[in-house]
Amino acid sequence: MDDATLSEAAGAPVRVLSRALLSGGAIQQNWLLEVERGGAREDWVLRTDNAATLAVSLTRPQEFALLRAAYSAGVPVPEPLFEGKHDGKPFLVMRRVRGTANAIALGKQVGPGGDAALVRECGKALRRIHAIAPPRHDLPFLGEPPADPALAFVAAMEQRLDDAGTPRPVLEWGLAAMRRHAAPPLPPVLLHRDFRNGNLMVEEGRVTGVLDWEFCGWGDPHEDLGWFCAPCWRFAHQHLEAGGLGPREAFLEGYGTGVDVARLPYWELAATIRWAVIAADQGARFLSGVERSLELALTGHIVPALEMDILKQVEGLDAGTA
Amino acid sequence: MLERPDAGELIEAARETVLNSLLAALPREKHYEARMVANALAIAGRSLNAAVPAHDIARLASTLRHNSPAPGSAAYAETRAALDEIARARCAVSAPKAL
Repeated sequence: MDDATLSEAAGAPVRVLSRALLSGGAIQQNWLLEVERGGAREDWVLRTDNAATLAVSLTRPQEFALLRAAYSAGVPVPEPLFEGKHDGKPFLVMRRVRGTANAIALGKQVGPGGDAALVRECGKALRRIHAIAPPRHDLPFLGEPPADPALAFVAAMEQRLDDAGTPRPVLEWGLAAMRRHAAPPLPPVLLHRDFRNGNLMVEEGRVTGVLDWEFCGWGDPHEDLGWFCAPCWRFAHQHLEAGGLGPREAFLEGYGTGVDVARLPYWELAATIRWAVIAADQGARFLSGVERSLELALTGHIVPALEMDILKQVEGLDAGTA
Repeated sequence: MLERPDAGELIEAARETVLNSLLAALPREKHYEARMVANALAIAGRSLNAAVPAHDIARLASTLRHNSPAPGSAAYAETRAALDEIARARCAVSAPKAL
């Protein structure tokens, strides 16, 4: 991307001093830019779409609006700077935050003992996201909040399974359990929907940025709490129930009031089901020939291990109701 | 009769070459990809001798969607056992560590 495009979008003369493609997701490209704006040196991250974009992800301008809302709510996020278009593809620019978001590296860093202070901070950050509640005129693309987030979740997963066309009985088993155990709806809040180890930029034990806002929506706050704690995101440290990074108690303590712990196993099951549906879709994307990526092909093979988790989780939910 | 080494033996030899010879010669940023190649070969190797349980998967999925058995019923226990068998067979190929 040339200096003129960036200058126009930034509303000030910009000169790019260096650029590097950052390691990153299957969905977007992230570029690290070292620039000079109005004579001052700044480090930016420019984010644009990859060739194959999942239909469920938000557009760059929508992601930009969410980043602005989160930044104003005091969530640790990269400061959103401006947005623009290049070759017909929208992009957004945010200030670079320092740290690492590599899930495996972070797991190694905290070690098997975990880091209670870090997960307390994670809880705090998530609480700030959940302080954003509808109606929000700056976030119209999120639509109306669902009347019953749990049942809406089940319906959305069933729709995705139907669209994919591969029968998956273990996932259906999990969804049937979700229908049986749905608790009454709570007032909706903003959900990040991918708040987990891997999307948290951490430097020296502090959360410097919550990344990847493209799956946001309105719903039950326990959905995000369950996603963070689900076994599939604990990586090497299964015993550290808060994202493989620390004890669950510290995470919930950082989050503060309003947690109904009885809802957590339910939304942890939901997390496993949703990750299985996403992983299956990624495998299907490889099979469709849209994207010949070995990583996508192997992601499909994560599904059976998630099915083992689902069987255990359903057993836990159904225990006592039989 | 086909010449040996057969598919499984060749896959195993290819995997050993990736892990024991190529990996060390690759730059660090290519290690992840090399490990993925080794993982893909391992899955392919295991799939050669995979036992597929005899269940009507489509019918089972449809029943669970529309008429899932109640916990405590005989149908529930029977379905749970079938799902366990299916998931274990799938895991044996894709992710045996999860078993």
